Amino acid sequence: MNLAVDLAPHHKQQLQLRNPVMTGSGTFSNGIELAKHFEIDALGAVVSKGTTLRTRRGNSTPRTIETPSGMINAIGFQNIGVGALMRNIAPTWARWNVPAIVNVMGESVEEYGILAKRLDGVDGVSAIELNVSCPNVDVGGLEFGQDPKTAAEVVSEAIRNTSLPLLVKLTPSITDIRPVVEAVTNAGAHAITVANTIPALAIDIEKRQAEIANGFGGLSGPAIRPITLRLVWQAASVTSLPIVASGGIANGKDAIEFLMAGATAVQVGTANFLDPRAPWRVLEELTDWCKTHEIQDVREIIGVAHHVD
Amino acid sequence: MERFTSSVTDSSLLYGNTHILWLDQPQVLNNCRPGEFLMTYIGDGHDPLLGRALSIHRLREGINGPEFGLLFDVVGRGTHWLAQRNIGDQISFVGPLGHGFEVRPRVNQMLLVGGGIGCAPLIWLAEELIADDRNVTLVLGGRSKEQIFPSQLLPPEIEIVVTTEDGSLGEKGLVTGPFKRLLPWSDQVFACGPDPMFEALYQVTKQAGSGKSLQGLLEGRMACGFGICYSCAVFPKKGGVRLICTDGPQFDLKEIYS
Ligand SMILES: Cc1cc2nc3c(=O)[nH]c(=O)nc-3n(C[C@H](O)[C@H](O)[C@H](O)COP(=O)(O)OP(=O)(O)OC[C@H]3O[C@@H](n4cnc5c(N)ncnc54)[C@H](O)[C@@H]3O)c2cc1C
Ligand SMILES: Cc1cc2nc3c(=O)[nH]c(=O)nc-3n(C[C@H](O)[C@H](O)[C@H](O)COP(=O)(O)O)c2cc1C
Ligand code: FES
Repeated sequence: MNLAVDLAPHHKQQLQLRNPVMTGSGTFSNGIELAKHFEIDALGAVVSKGTTLRTRRGNSTPRTIETPSGMINAIGFQNIGVGALMRNIAPTWARWNVPAIVNVMGESVEEYGILAKRLDGVDGVSAIELNVSCPNVDVGGLEFGQDPKTAAEVVSEAIRNTSLPLLVKLTPSITDIRPVVEAVTNAGAHAITVANTIPALAIDIEKRQAEIANGFGGLSGPAIRPITLRLVWQAASVTSLPIVASGGIANGKDAIEFLMAGATAVQVGTANFLDPRAPWRVLEELTDWCKTHEIQDVREIIGVAHHVD
Repeated sequence: MERFTSSVTDSSLLYGNTHILWLDQPQVLNNCRPGEFLMTYIGDGHDPLLGRALSIHRLREGINGPEFGLLFDVVGRGTHWLAQRNIGDQISFVGPLGHGFEVRPRVNQMLLVGGGIGCAPLIWLAEELIADDRNVTLVLGGRSKEQIFPSQLLPPEIEIVVTTEDGSLGEKGLVTGPFKRLLPWSDQVFACGPDPMFEALYQVTKQAGSGKSLQGLLEGRMACGFGICYSCAVFPKKGGVRLICTDGPQFDLKEIYS
């Protein structure tokens, strides 16, 4: 049975994954910790913690709160910065057989270009995931990913600065995701990650204040899965690029649901917090399902649910 | 690091609002140390979603083999569910996690300070220190006598000092009173309790000009418990950021507060 998928068919180097199961940014650190316990090379790909140009300490605490079948987080991009990532982490990735993808976040369009340039040609880095789901000060606090034109500019800027395959991670916080999908496709992105956390709030009624220090945060986990599933479906209906699903995936059945909606690969995120072996378990369950359903090639089921739109 | 499942061997309300659960001890816990913790998963679905961090409270030899204990205050959904478990029920965990207390090899006078449920990991530490022939003084503090671990359940070798805020048991006041008195006597200090208690202990050592090591088990909101979510940050006064779950939960309080 073939489980391999290509996340960048339009890129000269391609981005071959052994199977469609990846990890989600910010939910696996940089992979080093769990690679000590489980076979990292068995996964499809590993995505880094969201990385910025400079080191960031992140937000004050509390940073997370549990909600029904989900959680809200506002970590605030605590990360070691792109330089330390290249110096201290990339050499370990270079020894792995699994592709490592660096998730980056810039504060301006130019910063995405600088980040892309820094990562270009770095041993151990197989691709870049552009997180355009953060507020853009230049456009009045709107997220880069909420405006098709700005999202496309980020992609173009990154392409000018790197020869690595580029994934663009879109926000679910949008009236219609399709114009953004079309814009980043036309700008030359190689794959699209759908989506990120959903802006949300929880209040501590005894303290009469927001549960997390930042106030608002992003909702993730099984609670958001049906919303993300619809977004993946919509994205798949307007682009021929591979779509990577991210939102609430916790088991093999969830992964198959996303493949059938049109995703080429899936990212396991919040589910890692309840089971450090979650990505491996999702892969096993996906494989078992394919076996019992006599699927020869996992690509057979990608998008099969799209009879109507 | 894999999730493991254990069966409940005993469950009871031990005192006040504090419950104890005993469970079959799996092999992964064979080398665990006082101060390490477990992520404890509630129910078998996704609601509630996240694990609850609980310190390993004690180990003992049960009728059918080794057992580990969890001591917890019933405060919310997760701990309420745990308190409802019956003998034979299964609970799943990840652990042991974090860095526990570090005991210096050649010192003798050990001062342990627990505020409220902070006594949970200290009792096992006290037992280990007694077994290693050290002198142990355990200060237990709480709002009232309902929050004080029953002294008859502790080894008689331990010197126990109790403080309550309402004076219903022991000295009236906070643990800082006896702490101030006992600090000169002690060779090493181990503490567990709420943040304000740590801050107060640190201030006492600072005022006394004491250079003694002051180890505390920090608490923070955790989503994973093993270093991948960055929820459990703590910001040492002198700068930077650490993760309680993997860099701690045991920290030298001087490093955090000075
Ligand atoms: C390293 C560590 C060790 C701990 N050891 C013990 C122990 O031995 N005994 C004990 O009684 N308690 C201990 N705690 C606190 C314990 O984790 C919380 O009391 C527990 O999570 C409450 O869960 P709940 O579902 O009953 O409460 P809820 O309020 O319903 O919980 C909602 C969410 O908030 C989190 N949360 C709530 N209170 C706390 C808290 N005080 N600290 C961190 N997260 C919290 C929960 O994990 C959960 O995700 C420890 C905490 C840490 C970080
Ligand atoms: C604690 C936490 C931190 C995250 N950090 C990042 C990040 O740095 N960059 C990013 O693009 N997405 C980040 N995400 C979003 C996840 O990668 C994922 O897209 C989202 O949580 C939805 O998937 P899930 O429900 O499987 O977690 C984070 C999510 C969580 C829960
Ligand atoms: S609780 Fe997730 S990193 Fe500490």
